[in-house]
Amino acid sequence: MRDRPSGFGNPWLQLTVSVACVFVSELLLKRGATEIAEPDSALSWTGINGLASPLVWWAILLIIASFISWLYVLRYVPLTIAYPLSRVVDVLVPLGCWIFLGEFISTLRWCGIALVVVGLALVAKPVAQIEERL
Amino acid sequence: MSFLAFFLIVVSLLSFVVAQLILKRAMEVSAKAGLRHSRFILLVTLGVLLMTVSFFITLGLLQRFDLSYLYPFQGLSVIFITVMAAAVLKERLSLQLVAGTLLISAGIVLVSLS
Repeated sequence: MRDRPSGFGNPWLQLTVSVACVFVSELLLKRGATEIAEPDSALSWTGINGLASPLVWWAILLIIASFISWLYVLRYVPLTIAYPLSRVVDVLVPLGCWIFLGEFISTLRWCGIALVVVGLALVAKPVAQIEERL
Repeated sequence: MSFLAFFLIVVSLLSFVVAQLILKRAMEVSAKAGLRHSRFILLVTLGVLLMTVSFFITLGLLQRFDLSYLYPFQGLSVIFITVMAAAVLKERLSLQLVAGTLLISAGIVLVSLS
């Protein structure tokens, strides 16, 4: 990992920004896709009809924002570390589905979420050690 | 789940994984050659195109399946991307990183099964 800028340019902060944008965009996409769902139409397999929903457009804006900060992260952090860490979103999305979309989370699903958290801690630990030494 | 749905999930996953590798390579090029280098522009364009394909296919799938059902397939991308980054981009893999990656993927799959 080469020298990293601090403050807003800190790649770890940018990773957080990227994850937050993805999290919100996923919830917006699900809301938007449900809103305009046309399961009978063949065209809807392409997802293009999703563009009729304003929520989908907000989601697209957030995805572009997350993409830009993600590119920035990739400049400084190896993909083998940045990508697994970015999957913290896999914990956030089910939690968001539960809180905001009223989807149900079973015991097994909570166990899965716990496994992801342990995995994230394993990936993040060497990073924290590297940062401490700097 | 129909064959078409499975096929689309795989295409969406693969285009996403390849896009990430291409974008990482692009940012390596930009660190050395700057943001106006033709190779950087080509790679970013290719990466964005692949991500766009993946995005629209996912949007089509979301109209038919729960987000919490589709999400785990993206979870598999953790394994694919980590392995491919080590193999293609020659990034270093530690035992701890591999264990963490496997746990994350296993957790995501569990979330989908439940």
